[in-house]
Amino acid sequence: MAKQTKNTSKILIELLKLQIGHVSQRIEQEGQMVFGGSNLLEPDEIADLSVQFLQLLVALLESRDPDDDASPQFHALEMFFNNLSKQILVRGGRIEDLVRYIQFMQHTLIDALGEDQNTKVEDARAILLYLSSLFNELVLAVFQAYLSEKERTIWAQEAELRETSTPITEIWDGVLTLPIIGTLDSSRTMIVMEALLNRIASERANAVVMDLTGVKNIDSQVSHHLIQMVRAIQLMGAEAILTGIRPEIARALTSLNIDLGNVTTRATLSDGLKEAFRRMDIQVSHKAA
Amino acid sequence: MSGTAIPGLHLTQIGRENFLLEPSRALDISNGDELLVKILQRLQEARAGTLYYDLADLPLIEPLYYRWLNMLARACRAVNVAMVCIRMQPTAAFALSRYMQGAPDFAVGQGVKQ
Repeated sequence: MAKQTKNTSKILIELLKLQIGHVSQRIEQEGQMVFGGSNLLEPDEIADLSVQFLQLLVALLESRDPDDDASPQFHALEMFFNNLSKQILVRGGRIEDLVRYIQFMQHTLIDALGEDQNTKVEDARAILLYLSSLFNELVLAVFQAYLSEKERTIWAQEAELRETSTPITEIWDGVLTLPIIGTLDSSRTMIVMEALLNRIASERANAVVMDLTGVKNIDSQVSHHLIQMVRAIQLMGAEAILTGIRPEIARALTSLNIDLGNVTTRATLSDGLKEAFRRMDIQVSHKAA
Repeated sequence: MSGTAIPGLHLTQIGRENFLLEPSRALDISNGDELLVKILQRLQEARAGTLYYDLADLPLIEPLYYRWLNMLARACRAVNVAMVCIRMQPTAAFALSRYMQGAPDFAVGQGVKQ
């Protein structure tokens, strides 16, 4: 942060003491406008924000070295904005509004300085530099919190997508179905296989019908993963039945020299289920009229 | 049912023609040939039809162990015994599927067929 003299922090503290009511009220009013209208924060929470911010700022100014961005007082101020940022994002607020609110805090303090006739030009300049540097750090803290929160959200969404993109269903006692949609890359194959093999073990499944209707294209890596999955299913003592292989996928498999000789294939998921039932000596028939 | 002690393995007759082979942690497959002879002797004496190899306690099957399983399965076939590996763990199946080439020499199952 920009170096300030002992005098600047003293002047700022005096200024805040003299105008605390006015400064606090203005920050609170701005908070009500930014966060109150959209019901992101309760009026009590907004009032507390303004008071807490000023208390933390005074604590920083009263600390041994207000320029030290490693001091506990600075860290407390940083954490205050970090938490506020998370709170606003979780409630569906926008980061831009929070940054404008922080800028407004800075402007309010500068306005308060402007109203003080006794401050010398060089002190005012030092205070302005200090405030600018301090608020830059605080805005950075807010962006860091915003980014980490966004990353967490993206990670959670990815995990959810992975989970839902490979729904393994026990469609009958001992018969599992796995519709594969999209591309099978290495990481997805690992996830699918782990889930599938554990399900075979826990459900003691006898047959797995893997439906490829949703697979639009296939390359050598994907086909290799497919064969690997079939092998693993067979090693667990279950039957692997592939269904829904499109003509273009079949052509691609042939040109990739992938031999499906040891794999049972059927045209549709329905045919695959019939085959699984047949192998398990299960007969499904229409109710006699 | 009767049990036979072979170093690192426990061979138990289950039913008329079926045998269950349970490997222990003490199994040393570097003595594969010796073990193989003892197993086959016992199977032939009892006129066995199927040998069930229990893999339930094996979290991983490395290439050396896979070779041992294939060798035992081929030897069993030579004396008219079918070898079925049962209760393979998901982790073992996953690892094995990554490096195995072609179909194994043994059959696989989830358990002993009554």
